[in-house]
Amino acid sequence: MKVTIKNLTKKFASRDKNGEPVIAVNNLTAEFESGKLIALLGPSGCGKSTMLNMLSGILPVTSGKIYFDDTDVTDLTPDKREVGLVFQNYALYPHMTVLQNICFPLKIKKVPKDERIARAKKIARMVHIDEYLNRLPKELSGGQQQRVAIARALVKNPKLLLLDEPLSNLDAKLRLEMREEIRRIQRESGVTTVFVTHDQEEATSISDYIVLMKLGVMQQFSATRDIYNNPANLFVADFIGNPTINQLHGEYTSSGFKPDGTDEIIPIKADVAEGTRTILAARAESVTFNKGENGISAKVNDMYSSGKDWLLNIDIGNNNLRGYCDADYELIPEEIIKVQFKDKGVFLFDEKSGERYC
Amino acid sequence: MKKISAGRIITYVLLAIGGFIMVFPFIWMLISSLKTWAECGSMPPTWWPHNPTLENYIYAFKTAPFLKYFRNSVIVTIVCTAATMFNTILCAFTFSRLKFPGRDIIFSLMVSLMMIPYEMLIITNYTTIVKMGLYDTLVALIIPFTSSIFYTYILRNFFLSIPDSLYYSARVDGASDWQYLWEVMVPIAKPSLVTIGLLDALACWNSFMWSILVVGSVDNRTLPFGLFAFTDQAGVRFERLMAGSSIVVIPVIILFLFCRKQIVTGVSKGGMKG
Repeated sequence: MKVTIKNLTKKFASRDKNGEPVIAVNNLTAEFESGKLIALLGPSGCGKSTMLNMLSGILPVTSGKIYFDDTDVTDLTPDKREVGLVFQNYALYPHMTVLQNICFPLKIKKVPKDERIARAKKIARMVHIDEYLNRLPKELSGGQQQRVAIARALVKNPKLLLLDEPLSNLDAKLRLEMREEIRRIQRESGVTTVFVTHDQEEATSISDYIVLMKLGVMQQFSATRDIYNNPANLFVADFIGNPTINQLHGEYTSSGFKPDGTDEIIPIKADVAEGTRTILAARAESVTFNKGENGISAKVNDMYSSGKDWLLNIDIGNNNLRGYCDADYELIPEEIIKVQFKDKGVFLFDEKSGERYC
Repeated sequence: MKKISAGRIITYVLLAIGGFIMVFPFIWMLISSLKTWAECGSMPPTWWPHNPTLENYIYAFKTAPFLKYFRNSVIVTIVCTAATMFNTILCAFTFSRLKFPGRDIIFSLMVSLMMIPYEMLIITNYTTIVKMGLYDTLVALIIPFTSSIFYTYILRNFFLSIPDSLYYSARVDGASDWQYLWEVMVPIAKPSLVTIGLLDALACWNSFMWSILVVGSVDNRTLPFGLFAFTDQAGVRFERLMAGSSIVVIPVIILFLFCRKQIVTGVSKGGMKG
């Protein structure tokens, strides 16, 4: 099912420190394609959970519209929306067994008992929880409870599956396993799924599309690959990617970008007035080093490992940056080397507004 | 073999003495009710009756309609408790889950009613019942006791401790507020509800002052009132009085034996929440 969100706004009655009403979601418009996995991503307080709660119907909207396919569901209560919801704490009914938990939505719908159990067992097999049908939630591990919660959300064949921080209560290893599980279950069931996360790695690893939010405003909505390769502004470039994108402060000149603290120029073309304060942002993999003559001079500080890769920490003028280097690179501290930037993964932003120039 | 320490022995001896002191009056009541008049008054008292007899019970049932009293007590207790439970559950749900303007103020006002002593309400309740034309009916025994602010307060606090996500989860699963209450909240609150129900049933069963005020005829008496009347009918015949008392007390003791576990855990849980 396709989800269309038009000018969605949520204001809360509480006020911020300036006495203004808190705007949790501000005039957000987006369209989620059917059968895709969409991540609502952003730092805490960006309104992503508010978005999810408005999609489920738990929170009423202040203004704007939500459509499921062509049906306006803005004013429907949660029980009428046919969505499945998995909470961060799973919210399993503690007095019911796994089977009863999964059957609950069908019981409410008055599905006959035999059919109810058959459907619940089918879903339980899909999420690999069928061995534990007679256990109580408290007798399950976190990952198993998570699977039960997903099964309960899926058993009524919802049009939309919503997951609120589905992985944050799990330990690191299980988190990796479960996020692939979520991807698999989503693919198998084919249900349009929206999940909330503050972890950019989680979002980029499994989602088809990412909605990146900051302080209630959508910063970018695009395919997961594009959000990394083509960030809309400095905030997006900074939020997505690990290691964090390098940022060089400096000035735009007719021949290129001049970082602070050096007279050398990095050649880059953009439609900006000369003398504008800008930030050159470069992914670690877009920075290359050579001991020859080509590129801008930099001073080597240190070298360290991030698992299989090695990162070199260098200074260009007053700016510090990191780039990937060969594992057999011979480190000589304070050595002056040359740095070049690839075309891909290098962007120019306005220093103040974060607006992208190129 | 497990070694038994001196401290443990002392503990058990003290507990045994305490237990005996608590239980002795009941045992003595039962023993006396089986004695003849002569033996009951004899000095020194005998432990076990020489000629155990059920005569006193037969007399009690003949002089006073204990079966009718018993029936009345059962009706009043069941209806009162059921109504109280129902109202308490709905009220606790309203004041914990539903949102409406003035909710907390209204609830504080209700809780402040607990400060009015029961004795002060008796007069107003009495005039109300008489004006409603319900004097000397079983309904008069039931109507004033179909809700309890105290139990509502306890249950509301328990409901508040149930996470919001469970409510939203049930709503998304398609449940209405009403279904959520009965399918999720009430089952989770079962231990608290059993405790509340038992305490309320005991209070109804033992209710004495109110029934003596609003009931006149023999037909509408409950057991405590009946027993009170029986003390006149039995006169100084102690053994008969003890038989009457046993009839009143034994059902409650049986109820307690069956539900002992729930009462104890429920009370200790409620106590911790304060």
